[in-house]
Amino acid sequence: MLKIIIPTIMLIPLTWMSKPNMIWINTTTYGLLISLISLFYLNQPNDNTLNSSLMFFSDSLSAPLLALTTWLLPLMLMASQHHLSKEPLTRKKLYISMLILLQLFLIMTFTASELIFFYILFEATLIPTLIIITRWGNQTERLNAGLYFLFYTLMGSLPLLVALLYIHNFMGSLNFLMIQYWIQPLPNSWSNIFLWLACMMAFMVKMPLYGLHLWLPKAHVEAPIAGSMVLAAVLLKLGGYGMMRITTLLNPLTNFMAYPFMMLSLWGMIMTSSICLRQTDLKSLIAYSSVSHMALVIVAVLIQTPCSYMGATALMIAHGLTSSMLFCLANSNYERIHSRTMILARGLQTLLPLMAAWWLLASLTNLALPPTINLIGELFVVMSSFSWSNITIILMGINITITALYSLYMLITTQRGKYSHHIKNIKPSFTRENALMTLHLLPLLLLSLNPKIILGPIY
Amino acid sequence: MKPPILIIIMATIMTGTMIVMLSSHWLLIWIGFEMNMLAIIPILMKKYNPRAMEASTKYFLTQATASMLLMMGVTINLLYSGQWVVSKISNPIASIMMTTALTMKLGLSPFHFWVPEVTQGITLMSGMILLTWQKIAPMSILYQISPSINTNLLMLMALTSVLVGGWGGLNQTQLRKIMAYSSIAHMGWMAAIITYNPTMMVLNLTLYILMTLSTFMLFMLNSSTTTLSLSHMWNKFPLITSMILILMLSLGGLPPLSGFIPKWMIIQELTKNNMIIIPTLMAITALLNLYFYLRLTYSTALTMFPSTNNMKMKWQFEYTKKATLLPPLIITSTMLLPLTPMLSVLD
Repeated sequence: MLKIIIPTIMLIPLTWMSKPNMIWINTTTYGLLISLISLFYLNQPNDNTLNSSLMFFSDSLSAPLLALTTWLLPLMLMASQHHLSKEPLTRKKLYISMLILLQLFLIMTFTASELIFFYILFEATLIPTLIIITRWGNQTERLNAGLYFLFYTLMGSLPLLVALLYIHNFMGSLNFLMIQYWIQPLPNSWSNIFLWLACMMAFMVKMPLYGLHLWLPKAHVEAPIAGSMVLAAVLLKLGGYGMMRITTLLNPLTNFMAYPFMMLSLWGMIMTSSICLRQTDLKSLIAYSSVSHMALVIVAVLIQTPCSYMGATALMIAHGLTSSMLFCLANSNYERIHSRTMILARGLQTLLPLMAAWWLLASLTNLALPPTINLIGELFVVMSSFSWSNITIILMGINITITALYSLYMLITTQRGKYSHHIKNIKPSFTRENALMTLHLLPLLLLSLNPKIILGPIY
Repeated sequence: MKPPILIIIMATIMTGTMIVMLSSHWLLIWIGFEMNMLAIIPILMKKYNPRAMEASTKYFLTQATASMLLMMGVTINLLYSGQWVVSKISNPIASIMMTTALTMKLGLSPFHFWVPEVTQGITLMSGMILLTWQKIAPMSILYQISPSINTNLLMLMALTSVLVGGWGGLNQTQLRKIMAYSSIAHMGWMAAIITYNPTMMVLNLTLYILMTLSTFMLFMLNSSTTTLSLSHMWNKFPLITSMILILMLSLGGLPPLSGFIPKWMIIQELTKNNMIIIPTLMAITALLNLYFYLRLTYSTALTMFPSTNNMKMKWQFEYTKKATLLPPLIITSTMLLPLTPMLSVLD
């Protein structure tokens, strides 16, 4: 694993010592090379995990997420070039260093093999994200957004620390590989209920669960583009990944404790999808759509069947790429008109046809069109929730319909119809932006040819 | 203050603490405390304003009362054990008296009322000595009598200190008061673990001293005592604003900075002793602390305060303030987390 970690650390001196006109080129290129290395881990032989060392390992759950994380860094750098072009050089380098530091912590989180190590890095990802949101966001609400983000996550994760230390004491070790063999069933009692809650709430806040999702629209909307991309694509998946890891310790109590969270998620996904239909703010729409998709992942993880785990993993990767792409598209609008209001920039298809093609493809993947991996993920989750309880099919069906509705609403409002008067003199799409969209879309479409990679350890 | 006098006074302060730490006779410990207290009064009164006089008077009164209470406990111990050596204290009354006296010296709740007022009335340098060096002596005595301390009393004091330290600091804009409430909260964390694993208390004390020293030195560089003056630092010393950011996050106990180490270790020791609710409560209350540190970093490093046009192009003079050992202090206060496995040498 050091072959990914050390190059990522070395990206920081690369930023600080490059020539001023080469900082973006150097970091993006070497970021892409690092993502090539991470692709090697996708080759998982026979059901076993690849153990690199005492502290790091990668299995078919963490390898796709690792590949997503390393793929996202060059994309974030490409997306940030425009809005940082007017800043002084030191601030540009600081921004890039924050992104690289965040990348480093994320890589280590996804490959950590010990739960306390995972916890420390899970918390560590908060600091660069906080700095990116509060320092480089654009509106005054970003201070509040940073506070909500930090404190919601910390309130959830401090009980997790106590619970992990308790489990460590109880079981002797918290190494993933060993703990699989030492698990004892967790019976139903008050103290075990609190243990379950302490373990899961941190990830529920991170996902986010419907009742605790208040930080997400604030943070996503106020963050600069790279912050939004990494929040939507990777940081939310940390919650899903953590939940999948820690539910191995919490059986069979999960069958009992899952009900309130299942209900919140099932109801919440419909609620947040419906709110999307009434949004005027484009980024806010995409943020609520993230909550809705993640609610599906929560349902899948809490059901705990092989089918649902496959669906959850596929959905996480698919949503990561789709959501990030939607934020990039929203940002391309924002950079031209400096406003996030959807109706201000209408009818873009006549002015920027290629961008309209990317908008179309992104909206289609967002609404889970076959044969994309979004569909595979959602379909597996719907199937497994149907087998868990027949009635959920109604809620799932309503959710899929409303998802289609708001995705197409977003598409039609921004792209179709007559253009608004004042956008006739916007700049045409940059090649950088088109390359960005392609790099998001190409993995998404190619994965539909071989979804086995992202279906997780159960496949 | 003239240099020879300053040297003698500083030497007395250090000798006082050394006598407390190194002696095994209770009378000498009391002598050490008194030496320390009498010598630090001129340091607290470096500026001749009524605020400083009031602060030194309050400090003198609380510390003298605490020393007398300690002497009372020592005498009761003499009565029941017949000797003056510092060892396990068999009589519970003596132990409670000594614990109360020492927590009064430290500024643990409910004896915390003097800390913000005294810290506010004195200069930054004196405040630094007050909040770091003065904590060493009482802590060392608590370490030595730790087997015989009443756990319930100390745990109650610790919990209330963390709560007071968190809530008290929320409404403050004066930096010295913020650091005073931070000191109360950290002392609370230290007191919670003394009866279970005194070594972790020493770890926490060391890291707390390092972090507080760094913070005070950064404040002294800019001679800033209010949040407002700290918010002007982006103009003069932009690098220091990043340092304050990291240091404040470390004081708040965020991983992966060193401020997380004591919290992690203390929660680990407490859960090993089957206490689950108390560390959870302490950890969540520490978030209040984090809030006002974060507010400081917001005004210093992460936003730019509305300032006049004059401010934006300040003439850059050469640095003349001395910040002794600042880089190593900052590095140890923020980057020690990967070295945590080295704690196993303490076993």
